[in-house]
Amino acid sequence: MIVQRAIESAGISTIIIAALPPVVRQNGAPRVTAPLVPMGANAGEPNNAEMQLNIVRDTLKQLEEIETPGRIVKLPYEYNAKI
Amino acid sequence: MSLTVVKGLQSEIYVPITPEVVWTPVEKPLKEMKVALATAAGVHLKSDKRFNLAGDTGYRIIPGDASSEDLMVSHGGYDNSDVNKDINCMFPLDRLRELESEGFIKEVASKHVGFMGGGGDVKVFKEETGPKIAEIFKEEGVDAVLLTAG
Repeated sequence: MIVQRAIESAGISTIIIAALPPVVRQNGAPRVTAPLVPMGANAGEPNNAEMQLNIVRDTLKQLEEIETPGRIVKLPYEYNAKI
Repeated sequence: MSLTVVKGLQSEIYVPITPEVVWTPVEKPLKEMKVALATAAGVHLKSDKRFNLAGDTGYRIIPGDASSEDLMVSHGGYDNSDVNKDINCMFPLDRLRELESEGFIKEVASKHVGFMGGGGDVKVFKEETGPKIAEIFKEEGVDAVLLTAG
């Protein structure tokens, strides 16, 4: 989030895929998407290219959609890691 | 009416302080954008130096044409088992390339960045590492950065 803020401050729009949205909000991320994923698989289940592609595509779409800084958009994809 | 004023009085209840807003408006459609990835997941080329798992404020550049087979993770702060199976679950470079071939974005940047988040020296990240990474993307002419962290 620190790095995201640094990039955004330098004049480049950013968005973050977060597994822990409250933490990201607290740290002042400008744009956030939050699929239902564990930390360590933010972009989706391993070897599930379809889920990953959907998460990445929907996240990039939010670059155009989000107009309020700090907005968190939930994404309807779920992966439960078997630990 | 007179008020009782005590200088420097603070509430004993801690309240979260959110940093001030940073915002760069999006001014291009996605299909005209050059997009880069940045991740706090400790991703780097296998041939590159590993991160110091006890805390590392460095970063590693990952070339846009790197094969996902050539990438690995060194990060002491989260369960690496998913990302070891498939680097794309934290660093979706293959997916970004697919979106480029679809025409959904214009192009994948030729430089991406991995660093080790979730700790380390916050001051250095804020004052040095972050701005340095931003500079790399500025020089590249990147329009948007997709991050994975937190």
